[in-house]
Amino acid sequence: MTANRLTRRAVLSAGAAAALATIGAPVILHAQTATLKITTWGGKWGDIMKAELLPAFEKEFKCTVSADQAFPFVPKLQASPKSNPVYDVLHTNSNEQWSSLDLGLVEARLDHKKIPNLADVYPYAISDKIVGVSIFTSAIGLGYRTDKGLKKPTSWKDFADPALAGMRGGYIIPVNSLGQCHLMMLGKIYGKGFTDLDAAYKALEALKPIKLVDFTGQMEKMLLAGEVNMGVIHDSGVLRYEGQNQPIDFAIPSEGVMALEQVLNVTPGSKVKELAYAYIDYMLRPDVQKKLAETVWYSPSNKKVKLAPKYDARLFNTEAKVAQLIQPDWKWYNARKDEIDTRVTRLLKG
Amino acid sequence: MASLADALPATRLTPRPRRPAVSPIAWLVGPALLLFVIFFVLPFAVMAVLSLLSGNPAQNPNVYLTSRHYVRFAGDDLYWDALWSTLRIGIVTTLASLLVGYPLAHWMARMKSRLGHALLLMAVIAPMLTGIVVRTFAWMTILQDKGVINTTLIGLGLIEKPLPLMYNEFGTVVALVHIYVPFMVLTLTGVIGRIDERLEQAARNLGASRLRAFAEVTLPLSLPGIFAGSLLVFALSISAYVTPFLMGGTNVLTLPMLIYQQVSSSFNLGFAGALGVILLAVSLLVVIAYNHVLARFSGPEGLT
Amino acid sequence: MSARSVDAGRLAYYALNGAIIAFLLAPIAIVAVFALNPTPYISFPPVGVTGRWFVKFFATDDFMVALWLSLRVAVVVLLLSMLIGGACALALARGRLPGARFLTAFFMSPLMLPAILTGLALFQVFQLAELDRPVWGLIVGHTLVAVPYVLRTTLAVLANFDTRVEEAAASLGASPMRVFVEVTLPLIRPGVIAGGIFAFIVSFDQFPISLFLVPPKGETLPVVLFNYMKFDLDGAIAAASMVSILLALSVVLLLERVIGLKAYVKL
Repeated sequence: MTANRLTRRAVLSAGAAAALATIGAPVILHAQTATLKITTWGGKWGDIMKAELLPAFEKEFKCTVSADQAFPFVPKLQASPKSNPVYDVLHTNSNEQWSSLDLGLVEARLDHKKIPNLADVYPYAISDKIVGVSIFTSAIGLGYRTDKGLKKPTSWKDFADPALAGMRGGYIIPVNSLGQCHLMMLGKIYGKGFTDLDAAYKALEALKPIKLVDFTGQMEKMLLAGEVNMGVIHDSGVLRYEGQNQPIDFAIPSEGVMALEQVLNVTPGSKVKELAYAYIDYMLRPDVQKKLAETVWYSPSNKKVKLAPKYDARLFNTEAKVAQLIQPDWKWYNARKDEIDTRVTRLLKG
Repeated sequence: MASLADALPATRLTPRPRRPAVSPIAWLVGPALLLFVIFFVLPFAVMAVLSLLSGNPAQNPNVYLTSRHYVRFAGDDLYWDALWSTLRIGIVTTLASLLVGYPLAHWMARMKSRLGHALLLMAVIAPMLTGIVVRTFAWMTILQDKGVINTTLIGLGLIEKPLPLMYNEFGTVVALVHIYVPFMVLTLTGVIGRIDERLEQAARNLGASRLRAFAEVTLPLSLPGIFAGSLLVFALSISAYVTPFLMGGTNVLTLPMLIYQQVSSSFNLGFAGALGVILLAVSLLVVIAYNHVLARFSGPEGLT
Repeated sequence: MSARSVDAGRLAYYALNGAIIAFLLAPIAIVAVFALNPTPYISFPPVGVTGRWFVKFFATDDFMVALWLSLRVAVVVLLLSMLIGGACALALARGRLPGARFLTAFFMSPLMLPAILTGLALFQVFQLAELDRPVWGLIVGHTLVAVPYVLRTTLAVLANFDTRVEEAAASLGASPMRVFVEVTLPLIRPGVIAGGIFAFIVSFDQFPISLFLVPPKGETLPVVLFNYMKFDLDGAIAAASMVSILLALSVVLLLERVIGLKAYVKL
């Protein structure tokens, strides 16, 4: 009897313990490995992130990283509750960070003490034109075919050459920040400055007929296929074909190039802020920066990065070269976006 | 269509009046209703509410009621033009799909050989499986200035400058028809296949030409399929945005394109929601009117 | 048909159908060329033949995982929407429901709303319910846009359907259940199956709704391909497209062998 009861009690308590352990295990597991929710690009960038950089981060910081590559990021963040955001770190281009700030989706200012590597970045990466920190930039200039007897463009005005009618490529301005940059540049070249919209509209109209695309990958394809002979594009989109015997090249107009920044920022409602900051710091490490820069031809914002010669020759990685980058005033632009979108759509239609 | 479905056999074949009592079969609507109410009406209601608010309450508690998104739509003829383009492209695409789809559906329905039928089925279904974006890129390759058609025609010396096949409404409609014609074909095939071929044969035996036998027997009997297929294609083409976006260039602007812009780059869910409500309301009106006309048209006299 | 001599009308009929088939298949031919062409962009005329894009497609884990997920989701959506849509069509056509006409239009509405809004709206509701992005949510989203197809195709078949057959069976003493299983079901089957094929394809190719409803590492093939394409617009996309065509076609042909698509022609 006694033995029997003991046994039963033993079995019961063992069972209870087992049950508790089963229920508790995920909690304990959860406590041990926090999850950092981030957004990141696809393509070669995504490949190297998923294959090397994120696993290394997970190992070092004993966490799991959930990296969303499916656009559009900001609407998803917008649709999730502020107290429980769908991302901890938002990676977008600079213009979207400004919109996110307006919507209260990202921090207005990063805590610099938590990102030691910020000490080594070029000033543009944390300038007042940036919300968050720019970890890389590429340069928006002109891509052109080298086999069509075209002179290498030296000015943004070369894009208006009548010989390029119907063979020049731009972007659908409402949805693409390169198109928006180009519009501001037109104001600068043909008018009183980046904010001279009237001059910009007039200059844009003069560029008709022009083929418009919605993302840079498509512009690359149009250049490669000869559907356009010259197009507005960022250096990365042309340089990544280096060594593949493609008759295309990238030109830096004398008036300067616009910066297309890769910006990271933390969401205010993030429950793993320390980890979020650690991730941003990690992305600024020289070895991480070098790896990504040499994969996708983005210019690293950490001054200490030493690139291999062929990248060093073309990317913006010295004080002198960085000085050529013009940072758009996205706060100004976004405030007028609706008006500009309507105007530009009307202007280009028909 | 429902009215057609239940009115037709009842009135055409049995002259007694419709019984008003709801049949137990009606309960079968339950699962669909449940699915739609929870996962469509509810989320869409959230959208519709957002379209009347000044901001997103999930992010910002200080929002107030406003009609400004609707006022914005009403006050700019660009948006009215977009609505009209959307409907026009929808109607043209539907008619073209019917013209392209009917002969194929007829052939498929009358195909006796099992292998022939399987091959045809594959040819019809394959375009649907290409993937919307890849398929649109393929059309771009065919229609663009340096595309297959223009390169060939220029190579043959038939034209000097590329024909404007793309970056306009024409290119948009061609690509849309290609995408949606399979829906038309498969819907029609099901209906044509059920029409007794002997009816047509009988008409011909009575001296009708093949065309007349078709026009007076097969065509009227396939009307339910025509209506069902047209409605599908219309609904699909007014909500398409990838294709007009890539094929239309700067010359085409539809409501779905505007919605896409508002969601993905202006982050204005309120205005996107308002555009969605307007598009859905207009198209539901079109569909209900269409069903209404249809019910009359296919009454006792309509089909016999 | 075969015994008769080929006349001008018949010739025109086949010529017309041939042209239509050419129209349907031309873009696929282009995709095939793109998949085999070594240049990293779509170009015409092609410059050579390579298998490297297919190798790249099959060697990329992301593509394989996504392909498998897409197939499984599409099969579940196929079954669910056949059940829900078929039942709904019967109810609307036979239930003598008040407002059936309005309901029919209502059930079409997910097709008329740009799917990006439907996806975003569903995502928002899931987020508010703190559900994040479960795979059943994705299936629900796909089913929502798949049911209207089954509904339409089944209603179309029901419209030509003579109720007297059922009445005859009932008057011969068959129970309502037996009438349903032995008369009604076989009669609506072609419509339900045609709709099921649509459902499978619509789910397998669904992009805007999935865009919002897939979690990281749980992306369907169209989403993975779209993300890939934003950065690398190379032949791997075309190879993926060709593989999808072959795979989905085999599923459809399998369906035909198992349930007999020919049924709706032969009925």
